Amino acid sequence: MLKKKLTLKIILFLVFSDVLETLIHLCFKKSAMAHDYFDVNNLADGVTFLSGVFSSPFLWLGLFLVLLTFVAWSTILSKIDLSVAVPIASFSYILIPLTSAIFLHESVSLLRWVGVFFILIGVVFVSLSSGEKEGVL
Amino acid sequence: MKEGVIFTLFLIFLTSVCDTVNQLFLKSAINSLPAPSGNILKIVKFILKLILIPRVWISLLFSITSLCIWLFVLSRADLSFAFSADSMHYILIAIASRFILKERVSFKRWLGIVFVVIGIVIISFS
Repeated sequence: MLKKKLTLKIILFLVFSDVLETLIHLCFKKSAMAHDYFDVNNLADGVTFLSGVFSSPFLWLGLFLVLLTFVAWSTILSKIDLSVAVPIASFSYILIPLTSAIFLHESVSLLRWVGVFFILIGVVFVSLSSGEKEGVL
Repeated sequence: MKEGVIFTLFLIFLTSVCDTVNQLFLKSAINSLPAPSGNILKIVKFILKLILIPRVWISLLFSITSLCIWLFVLSRADLSFAFSADSMHYILIAIASRFILKERVSFKRWLGIVFVVIGIVIISFS
């Protein structure tokens, strides 16, 4: 079963899921930020931490967006291989440091951007190979 | 590299393992159904059928576990660091796709994965 064709529609779906993913992680970070460096030494601490985080509205907004992404992903994965879909959906690797710097005021150093750049090159390589006939390694 | 970074990376590795298992179960469940073609109605029907497959629930269980660990990571690390480091799931997914789903993973794809690894090492020092 060959399912490798990347149509414009699938790419749009992937971009949509990128934007959703960025929003999801911003929401999750916002909810976790209220409990910065909470010490978890045993199960009870873990429960306290999680119940704190789960009472944040940002977390539930994030989870709602996860549900939307699940719908988008189910559609994408039924059309193309997982090892093709995952890398192309990765423009959030730029979007997230960018939005972290803008909205969360994180300082993203030059070195970190260099790392992100390498990750992106990797991602492009992985997605470039999607249209070719491939041999089993 | 600070000491806490190793621990954070280990936790991110755990979430990546959970995510990979989650994606494998989801993909294997989806593969068991014929691909939906075209309109939204058919896609909705496809998803409803999908939810009835137990493997989708196992997949969900793993994503919940992953989420809990992830929230803990986010409470002590920059999002721009944690999310970038989370790209280690590429490596796991490529290996799992190759050996468990028996998908073909080309040389170029492996090369891409090497770049991802280098990127993760760099951000770990940032």
